[in-house]
Amino acid sequence: MKLAHVDDVILALYFAFVLGIGWRLRKRISSSGDFLTSGRSVPVWITSLAFIAANLGAVELVGMAGSGAKYGIMTAHFYWLGAIPAMLFMGIFMMPFYYGSKARSVPEYLKMRFDEKTRAFNAFSFAIMTIFSSGISMYALGILLQSVLGWSFDVSVLASAAIVLAYTFLGGLTSAIYNEVLQFLLIVMGFAPLAILSVIKAGGWQGIVARLPPNMTHAWRYMGSPTDNPMGVEIFAMVAGLGFVLSFGYWCTNFLVVQRAMAADSMSAARRTPLIGTLPKMLLPFIVILPGIAALVLSKMNLGYAFPLKATGGPDYDKVLTTLMAQFYPAGLLGVGLTGLMASFMSGMAGNVTAFNTVFTYDIYQSYIRPGAPDRHYLTVGRVTTVVGVLLSIGAAYLCTLFNNIMDLLQLVFGVVNAPLFATFLLGMFWKRTTAHGAFAGLSIGTAAAILTLSTTVAEGNGGWIAHLHTFPSQMAQNFWIAIIAFTTNFVISVVVSGFTTPRTDKDMEGLVYGLTKVPHDATAKWYQRPAPLTVIVVILLLILNIWFR
Amino acid sequence: MDLRVPSGSFFTLIGLILLGMGAFAPHMGAAPLTTENVNLYSGAAMLVFGLFLLLMAWRATRQEKGSNP
Repeated sequence: MKLAHVDDVILALYFAFVLGIGWRLRKRISSSGDFLTSGRSVPVWITSLAFIAANLGAVELVGMAGSGAKYGIMTAHFYWLGAIPAMLFMGIFMMPFYYGSKARSVPEYLKMRFDEKTRAFNAFSFAIMTIFSSGISMYALGILLQSVLGWSFDVSVLASAAIVLAYTFLGGLTSAIYNEVLQFLLIVMGFAPLAILSVIKAGGWQGIVARLPPNMTHAWRYMGSPTDNPMGVEIFAMVAGLGFVLSFGYWCTNFLVVQRAMAADSMSAARRTPLIGTLPKMLLPFIVILPGIAALVLSKMNLGYAFPLKATGGPDYDKVLTTLMAQFYPAGLLGVGLTGLMASFMSGMAGNVTAFNTVFTYDIYQSYIRPGAPDRHYLTVGRVTTVVGVLLSIGAAYLCTLFNNIMDLLQLVFGVVNAPLFATFLLGMFWKRTTAHGAFAGLSIGTAAAILTLSTTVAEGNGGWIAHLHTFPSQMAQNFWIAIIAFTTNFVISVVVSGFTTPRTDKDMEGLVYGLTKVPHDATAKWYQRPAPLTVIVVILLLILNIWFR
Repeated sequence: MDLRVPSGSFFTLIGLILLGMGAFAPHMGAAPLTTENVNLYSGAAMLVFGLFLLLMAWRATRQEKGSNP
């Protein structure tokens, strides 16, 4: 793929705007709260789009198109089943505790509800994961630009990291969030034409259905047995593993996304953030997954488009998106699409960096290294941590270049860490009898159970380092079952240990637990600003989509 | 800062560039799998979207001025 001058101009224009937004916002920073938590002052339409943009990194964008070609419309479950219900739950039931507790981060909420050890466990594992995931996405971007455009890996990695560092350093979380919205709009504008053009060329949805096996164009019908569908997953593992444990564990407890909602300017806006976010989130599959499905069809139509292959011969799903862009985008729009890809990378990385600096500054530095310093000091620490976070991410990206399989391994580790988490929050927020010792025992043993499951089962050659007790039909099925086992273990252990230990008094837990927290009723809100009607609308739309693509 | 101003300006500019490409250099805009003038249509859509954001921002500042004289 070759870029014309106009493409370079568009890319440069985008960089100028991103840096300009950071520059304009720098004056709003006068305390560590302004820098790390936006001083809780961001309008709701902005937090809602940032909420989904922070999750939409380049790895997702490239990966979802690839998964569309590999698994068909079932991939949409990562959105309709694996995100929307959890986002609704988070807005309706969990946000009152996060926002109302005045915690500045998710680990800090755990400290308020339980004690130091659970906070430390969550803060350290989260800090390490954010660094590695931003390193992975940086590595993926560098490899992609190298293979598609022939750009130098070092230059793409270092230059894009420098730009993200510049605007997050200048304007903190506010700058990251504002830019995420611009990036989100650009991703939609840059990739919607690709979806439209490729689907039309493939003969519309009817043409796609006619040219692909039926299990690629139905989301639910072939899930009775793992051998019937391309994902190798049966309905229970899909709904319980992805739809419940993993999705609620991610969307309701991952500080990367929760932080965006916590930056909203009121409790009502914080609750509406994930609810409003569901509307664009629900439609994203049409932009990110459909082109992948269309690519598979186009490659069977003798139009001159060949499905991208690896050097070893197998299909190269990571190149689906970029090869398709080369087929449909002329100079000009190609620049916009490429800029959209860069934008998705930056929004993902800035999300990780701003979550990392907050957790490090408040939950690690202020708690264990130097408590009680004046706020000015923590602002400086926050800024320094931003630089250090970016440097560590660059280090992680280069670590990926040294060890070929490290990316797969890290994805497995993320799954293991994320798997048991939701049980801790669910019990903590909705069962006041849960004790600090119970939560910690559940979380540690739940994590151990996840590691043990991974070490004793095998899927597509992964795992089974200790023993080989069971073989899963696919890695996806293995991930989902690890999550189900870890969640259940955590839940049971937390309940049992809580039964044997003394709970805190009700007075200590006001604002932290269901039943002891007043959820303010905003009487001035119009009907569409209230959570309940908004949720009903979302659920109806979600049902229509699932029935349509059943 | 009203985010609609920079976002709106950004899409207006990109829209104008693509629209210009589509109108004055349609041959440069060839892509293997399509015969449509892709730049022209996408540019027009982005321009409209950019102007819409700017209009919303402009309305908001006017209302603010009206309520706090």
